[in-house]
Amino acid sequence: MADVLQQVVSGIASGGVYALLALALVLIYRSTGVVNFAQGEMAMFSTFVCWELLDRGLPYWVAFFLTLAISFVGGVLIERLVIHTVSRSQALTVVTVTIGLLILLNGAAAWIWKGEQRTLENPFPSDTFDVGGVVIAAQDLGIIGVSLAIVLVLWAFFQRTRVGLALRAAALNPASSRLHGVRVSWMLALGWGLAAVLGAVAGILVAPTQGSFDQNLMLPVLIFAFAAAVLGGLDSPIGAVVGGVVLGVVLNLVGAYIDFFADLRLPAALLLILGILLLRPNGLFGRSVVKRV
Amino acid sequence: MRVLGVLALALALSTGAASARPSADPGISASEIVIGGTVPLSGIAASYASVGRGAEAYFKYVNARGGVNRRKITYKYVDDQYNPAQTVQAVRQLVQQDRVFAIFNSLGTEHNLSVRSFLNATKVPQLFVGSGATTFGRDYKRYPYTIGFLPSYIGEGKVYARQILKTKPNAKIAVLVQNDDYGKDLLAGFKAGLGAKRKNLVAEQSYDALSTDVSSQIARLRSSRATVLLLITTPPFAIRGLVAANRLGWRPQVYVNQVGSATNIMRIISATANPRIIEGAITLISIKDPLMPRFKNDAGMKLYRTIMRQQLPRGDVNDGFHVYSMAVAYTFVEALKKAGRSPTRASLVRAVANLNLRNNPFLLPGVVVKTSSTDHFPLDQGQLQRWSKNQWNPLGKIVSAKP
Repeated sequence: MADVLQQVVSGIASGGVYALLALALVLIYRSTGVVNFAQGEMAMFSTFVCWELLDRGLPYWVAFFLTLAISFVGGVLIERLVIHTVSRSQALTVVTVTIGLLILLNGAAAWIWKGEQRTLENPFPSDTFDVGGVVIAAQDLGIIGVSLAIVLVLWAFFQRTRVGLALRAAALNPASSRLHGVRVSWMLALGWGLAAVLGAVAGILVAPTQGSFDQNLMLPVLIFAFAAAVLGGLDSPIGAVVGGVVLGVVLNLVGAYIDFFADLRLPAALLLILGILLLRPNGLFGRSVVKRV
Repeated sequence: MRVLGVLALALALSTGAASARPSADPGISASEIVIGGTVPLSGIAASYASVGRGAEAYFKYVNARGGVNRRKITYKYVDDQYNPAQTVQAVRQLVQQDRVFAIFNSLGTEHNLSVRSFLNATKVPQLFVGSGATTFGRDYKRYPYTIGFLPSYIGEGKVYARQILKTKPNAKIAVLVQNDDYGKDLLAGFKAGLGAKRKNLVAEQSYDALSTDVSSQIARLRSSRATVLLLITTPPFAIRGLVAANRLGWRPQVYVNQVGSATNIMRIISATANPRIIEGAITLISIKDPLMPRFKNDAGMKLYRTIMRQQLPRGDVNDGFHVYSMAVAYTFVEALKKAGRSPTRASLVRAVANLNLRNNPFLLPGVVVKTSSTDHFPLDQGQLQRWSKNQWNPLGKIVSAKP
């Protein structure tokens, strides 16, 4: 029994990171209707920025918040300079551009940081607690805590602030929002900036759990994040979080106890995406879009 | 009639004489020999790019000193993004359009397998394959133009099994293994080496090279109550595996395979997990590691650092792949010297199968590169090392890692 619980605990921790990245995907999808394939690589790039700042001797939390600020500006710039220029084209064009960004950012990081294994400081204590044979790491608790805090802050931002309201309005009905004085295109850029910040947090949290990282840190995480977002419903923030944690736990249990899936966790996640899209396209929490014709 | 007959005879003789002279193979002239290969320069395995760059640096060093028999070596290495489909395209282009003399130092098991038939059918040498898969050395009768370089994974697995049986004959053993040809090959050697003690291997977990973490696998291995953990993993997964084991408070006797045991990797584990988890860890090494203090004043490593400084100043001197690739390039240069003043593809392949090099400056002292018509494993020796005080220390003599 302790073994099973151990798998659950480790699944919740990895699921927390999937959830953060899934949340970033949902944020952009909700505000622009585009699935951002470069989300993982943006997060990876932010992680390298944080590493660089730490390497230059900045204290941890200064580097952390400076990275978030840089990521925010980077996200806004990507929207303004790249996405905005193709935003009038078909969705497919925009998606293709985000895939191009994925390749570009991956190559750029490999070139700048030489593709070597880097280590990022762990902000949490490295203690572990033994609860009835199940080992719980303070680091995992820290990741879960930070993820929850961010979700709450985001929720408050969207529900309780004027900017949050404007963001939601711009996504829901751009034409009408524009008439009410909302600067719609800047709202979209703001959405990208926030998504970049979420990705940065995910990257900075996940890198130390793996001991080391390189430019491929986020490629596999992105697939799990997609699965999480689809599971929860692509337009539901709560769904992304629940989807991430459920996915982390389920994949761990399936991988550990069903021999067939032992080293097929990644394909299992893809299978899940396919199954959900076929059976329940809106995921667990998503709303179905009804259009009047 | 008679005149005609003489003419015909003369013609026959002259053409006969012409065809008796060996026709020159592509890719070689009096001043240059062009060889090619594939190396991942981008994508998931981009960190192996050093395997191409280090060899190139060594050839530039040789060229600056006059080349081999006044021929400069040009080494065209192409990015295949570690994708066998791209390896096939790139190698076809190297052979058919760039007309290289030989394929050299291409990296990856599946990648080299995907072009082995093509290269042997067209009689293009496929030299010093960057993989320890046993088939590259074992199946020379079917593929005479192919030869590997690294100690075979099967042989390496057997060495670990022998060491465990010698020191802890009844210990329960757990294995974390990458689920591809490389992992399966090494695990098969390890099991063969355990022989009758196969039952000591109580837990086996595999991972996909594209996965994020292995904490779930490590948790399963730990619950088997094994006291020995063998990591058949690449560097990132050696790190992840031991970070996860440390987080669970598991302290097995660690064995880590040569692919994942470079000093800089071990130091990352020591810094991010816990120095204690790898204290006493064991690995097999054949190549000098740039971070081994005992080679600080070693002539071979001094040469290595000089070449790095002169030919590859942007490269990381502490990256062991650079040393590995220079060891391969050195072996190629020595084989080329033995292939005659006007080498052909056939004479080069004969020379490659007739090596006895005792002084490769980049290999551990005492490790001999030896091949024969029936031995196509150039490097089949190594030395066990034990990790303590933040460095690898030799454990016993040079041992055979024959499959």
